[in-house]
Amino acid sequence: MIASIKANLPVFVVIVPLFIAFILLTFTRRMRLVEGLVIFAEALGLVCAGYLAYTVLKQNGTQIIYQLGGWPAPWGIELKVGSLAALFLLIIFGVCFPVAIFAKGNLTEEVGSNERITRFYVLYLLLGGALAGMAVTNDMFNIYVLVEVATLSCCGLVSARKHPRAAEAAFTYLILATLGSALVMGGIGFIYITTGHLNMGFASQELKQVWQDNPHVVWMAVSFILVGFGVKSALFPLHVWLPDAHSQAPTPASAVLSGIAVKGYLICFLKFMYGVFGPELMQEFAVNRILVFLGLVAIIGGSLSALTQDELKRRLAFSTVAQVGYIYLGFGLMNEKGLAGALFYLTSHAVIKSTLFLAAGAILAATGKKKISELKGIGRKMPITMATFTIASLSLIGVPLFSGFVGKWHLLLGSLEAGNIIPAVIIIFGSVLCAAYLFPVIRIAYFEPAPEEEWKDPGLSQKCSLILLSTVVVILGVVPGPILELARRAAAELLML
Amino acid sequence: MKILLEKLIINYPYCIAAILFMIGGLTVLTRSNLLKKLLGINIMESSIFLLFVAGGNIRGGAVPVFDKANVESVYINPLPSALMLTGIVVSVSVTAFALALIIRLYKTYGTVDAQRIAQMRNEVEEK
Repeated sequence: MIASIKANLPVFVVIVPLFIAFILLTFTRRMRLVEGLVIFAEALGLVCAGYLAYTVLKQNGTQIIYQLGGWPAPWGIELKVGSLAALFLLIIFGVCFPVAIFAKGNLTEEVGSNERITRFYVLYLLLGGALAGMAVTNDMFNIYVLVEVATLSCCGLVSARKHPRAAEAAFTYLILATLGSALVMGGIGFIYITTGHLNMGFASQELKQVWQDNPHVVWMAVSFILVGFGVKSALFPLHVWLPDAHSQAPTPASAVLSGIAVKGYLICFLKFMYGVFGPELMQEFAVNRILVFLGLVAIIGGSLSALTQDELKRRLAFSTVAQVGYIYLGFGLMNEKGLAGALFYLTSHAVIKSTLFLAAGAILAATGKKKISELKGIGRKMPITMATFTIASLSLIGVPLFSGFVGKWHLLLGSLEAGNIIPAVIIIFGSVLCAAYLFPVIRIAYFEPAPEEEWKDPGLSQKCSLILLSTVVVILGVVPGPILELARRAAAELLML
Repeated sequence: MKILLEKLIINYPYCIAAILFMIGGLTVLTRSNLLKKLLGINIMESSIFLLFVAGGNIRGGAVPVFDKANVESVYINPLPSALMLTGIVVSVSVTAFALALIIRLYKTYGTVDAQRIAQMRNEVEEK
């Protein structure tokens, strides 16, 4: 029994959340059972992901290959759990689990009746399952379908809030994201037409031999996939949908959207670029330089736009745009340190940004104030919420001993190793800008006189989830060991060292 | 020039796909009517379906069913058509969801024009 579960673990990680999502709808009237099931599903996923990561680390480089239905690779669909997939699975469930605890008993105000909350949870689990699928699958068309499942559930999560602005933000998001996935599908079509394979490994081998026959078609494929995933993961000039969608969503939804949904597309992009086209073709088409340039523009542009926002959630959403820039920059550096730094930064940003959004949501729920300038003295009224917010902000800025620092440090080393001084300067300048838009929040919260009003910390489960997430932030900064090792191995696998 | 024209005529399904893609993309980005945006998305997705199906087709190819009498015949590739079945299902669900959102927006604002909705929203926020 245990042995067969272990052997089928890669597919269980995907199927369990999807399965539980659809049985939730039958328990609409029993809210406690629904919430319990959601938390159980995420906890189960976390345990499975932890076990897979442990196995991958212990196996020292060999990847777990799982053939769906027992059909071997070029004909059947293949699931592959290497270091990259194991790392991303850990991120997904490591963020989904605390956010599910936060959402417990806290959605009535934002989402509405029990029926609506159950539907919200259905989409929440579908998003988790689809992202887990993106992490493990090795088939291009599978990625397209999972990307669509994730997109639709993201839009559903945004529109779950009763406010009409949420519907508007969700529609913009849906249109632009569908545009992105149409482009991705086009890119997959061009790869399929040139190589005749949908399996990433086989397509990559074939592409190395035949790309010179039709270089223009391969060019089209590269650009379609770059722009498609660029729209979906909010690469700077294509980020227009993100601030609205992420700030209008209900609190737990904005935490997972900013924390992991955007990262899912980044991981897919990484799989396509390194796994299908390969580092050599990337250099041939100068994709690496494009990525570094766009990353730098995103860091500066995102941070400057964040500075001008006075609404807390919108400022955090724009900060996500800037942080995505760091990750793209790392993807473009094409060396092990830079790539490992980008993957570690992705991990730490997932945890940090969900903490920040949850804290901001808790403040919004308690005070009803959206603007930063109205949050005077909140640090003394809501000590725990603001403490977690401060820890996460310090980490995002990149103060040593917090997780953001480790990622930025490796990105710096990577860009110096690539012999390029400009990215190194921009990384440091980006930290300064980040401090410029997050420190005012902390200053207003702690050093301004508090008004008379009665504002309190949120309930027990919300506090637990905030404390859990901020502990993870600190642990990742103090003992980055295992995660950094996973990131390093994933980078080595991608670069085919 | 003549060779280029010949190539274009021989590969006409791909040309039509490219033209449809551009029509769809332009409609999505330039129209402010939400329904037209949705139509644009649908046109764009259809062009990709056409691209896939054309990629699997072989001129004069047989139906991909094994025939004992005619073992040597060239079959067309059925896989892209099967994949596009999934693509069509996805596109239908996107359309349904988008229509639901449009209905919700229409009930709130009484219009399906993106610019007017933005205007009305800003007016509400200024108050």
